[in-house]
Amino acid sequence: MTAILEVREVVRAFGGLRAVDDASLDVEAGSITALIGPNGAGKSTLFNVISGFLSAERGQVHFEGRRIDRSQPHRIARRGLVRTFQVPRTLTRMSVMDNIMVAATHHPGERLNGLAFRPSAARTRERGARERAVELLALFRLDGHAGEYAGVLSGGQRKLLDFARVLMAEPRLVLLDEPMAGVNPALGRQLIDHVLRLRTEAGMTFLFVEHDLDIVMESSDQVIVMNEGRVIASGDPQQVRGDQRVIDAYLGTAGPQ
Amino acid sequence: MSTIASFGFWSFVGIVAGIYTLFALGIQVQFGFAGLLNFGQVAFMGIGAYTMAILVVKEDLNMWLAAGCGVVLAMLAALLLGLPTLRLRADYFAITTIAFSEILRYVATNEDRLTGGSQGTINLAGIGRASQYDGAWQSFLGKVERNLHVSSDAAMLILVWTVALLAVAMVFVLMRTPWGRVLKSIREDEDAAASLGKNVFLYKLQALALGAGLGAVAGVFYAWQFSFFSPDDFAPLITFFAWMIVILGGLGRAWTVPVGALVFGVIFAGTRFFDFPPFSLLDSTERAYVRLIVIGLVIIGLMLFRPQGIFGSRKEMVLE
Repeated sequence: MTAILEVREVVRAFGGLRAVDDASLDVEAGSITALIGPNGAGKSTLFNVISGFLSAERGQVHFEGRRIDRSQPHRIARRGLVRTFQVPRTLTRMSVMDNIMVAATHHPGERLNGLAFRPSAARTRERGARERAVELLALFRLDGHAGEYAGVLSGGQRKLLDFARVLMAEPRLVLLDEPMAGVNPALGRQLIDHVLRLRTEAGMTFLFVEHDLDIVMESSDQVIVMNEGRVIASGDPQQVRGDQRVIDAYLGTAGPQ
Repeated sequence: MSTIASFGFWSFVGIVAGIYTLFALGIQVQFGFAGLLNFGQVAFMGIGAYTMAILVVKEDLNMWLAAGCGVVLAMLAALLLGLPTLRLRADYFAITTIAFSEILRYVATNEDRLTGGSQGTINLAGIGRASQYDGAWQSFLGKVERNLHVSSDAAMLILVWTVALLAVAMVFVLMRTPWGRVLKSIREDEDAAASLGKNVFLYKLQALALGAGLGAVAGVFYAWQFSFFSPDDFAPLITFFAWMIVILGGLGRAWTVPVGALVFGVIFAGTRFFDFPPFSLLDSTERAYVRLIVIGLVIIGLMLFRPQGIFGSRKEMVLE
């Protein structure tokens, strides 16, 4: 298996606090990889570094063999590495449909020169994007709300909308920041099923941060554990479950002995 | 009370409202659609007006060409302003835009060889030369009058509102394109837009430049309407008039701007007729300030009882 994402010795500090401290990890192409660790372990900061929203002070990030740690977020997204946020970033004063449509890639109608000089190409792309958006809305059972303001959706529906929007952006690697948080178990189950199906059918790779360890253990191929800014363990769920360092990180050591 | 019934007076209100429609439409594009807090819009109006006047007087340029240069220069100035500042957080960007407009006003006041200085455009060709930049415009306006068989005021009213409504229609259409959709997504959440592969900075630059161009068109009409102007015509207060118009009409919609501008114009002009007590105790200069107070009270009242503006969407307002 080849690594689609390689994080090498990344450091990111806030003042004196090294939120990510020399973290290295690999995510294998086509895998569902979980990133776990106690609160403050640096998972979200690492997500922000990988997706370009924070710069790394040291270290490198490679996506599909190309270095991305100096790239801006939108460039990383265009390369096929797309993320969600812990709190859904719903575009509340736009329709549910537009929330998804805006993620369309390679759209000539999103550029003024494209609108002026390639209007028919823009129209064709818009039609194609709309068909795909209708599919995605149906898939996530949001089709009944397509014309409504996204701001009227419930928290769980917003999570689904964020996920649908990410898929619209045609990613090869998806970073999910706590996809199950605030989602009822039935809906969470649906989300996992989508992830599993997309991995098999579309060959997408998923890296997700999650606190519910039952979900992590049952749905991921690989688990990476962070604590205090470092990666302290990685492997398949069984290996990680039995790792003493992981148990210590979660439960705390007995203190100086 | 004879002015209240006179066509001349109300057509003047209409012309000013038309100019303000163009001017405030720029703010609507920048803030209502892209979320940019531009408090320096008046600078672009000034660039449009001054560029046109200077080129006509000093270079003897055709007035349409000179007006076009004014609009292009204002858009270039917007790019120049935006390049270093649009990466700043929204509130810091807002501060730099005020500074930008004030710097330009002071430059216009002090660079008297270029602008005529604090005495205004009358000194454009040098002191004592009493220069005029609107000769060609007046003869064009005369032609329109004769062809349409209307008065000079009516001709101006028609021309200003034709351009203003075309601009409103253009913005209306543009905001329904995929380009406009991206702009709105940036207004809603620029991190989300960036995470979906949109070049937020580029779109903000475009919105700023488009709004600046509209401001410059307003500036050119302003110059033609008043036949004379000076740096003090481009004080920050004028920018805030545009904000009032956008808030009065409603945010995030193109066609609310002319409505806001008309309401603003009527309140602004209407307060002249406050000749009953206690206003009759004030002289006319003092009364001129009363209208600012009235506008302020209207805005406060609106924020309390109708925060979405006259035609804005309440539903949109309360979404989180």
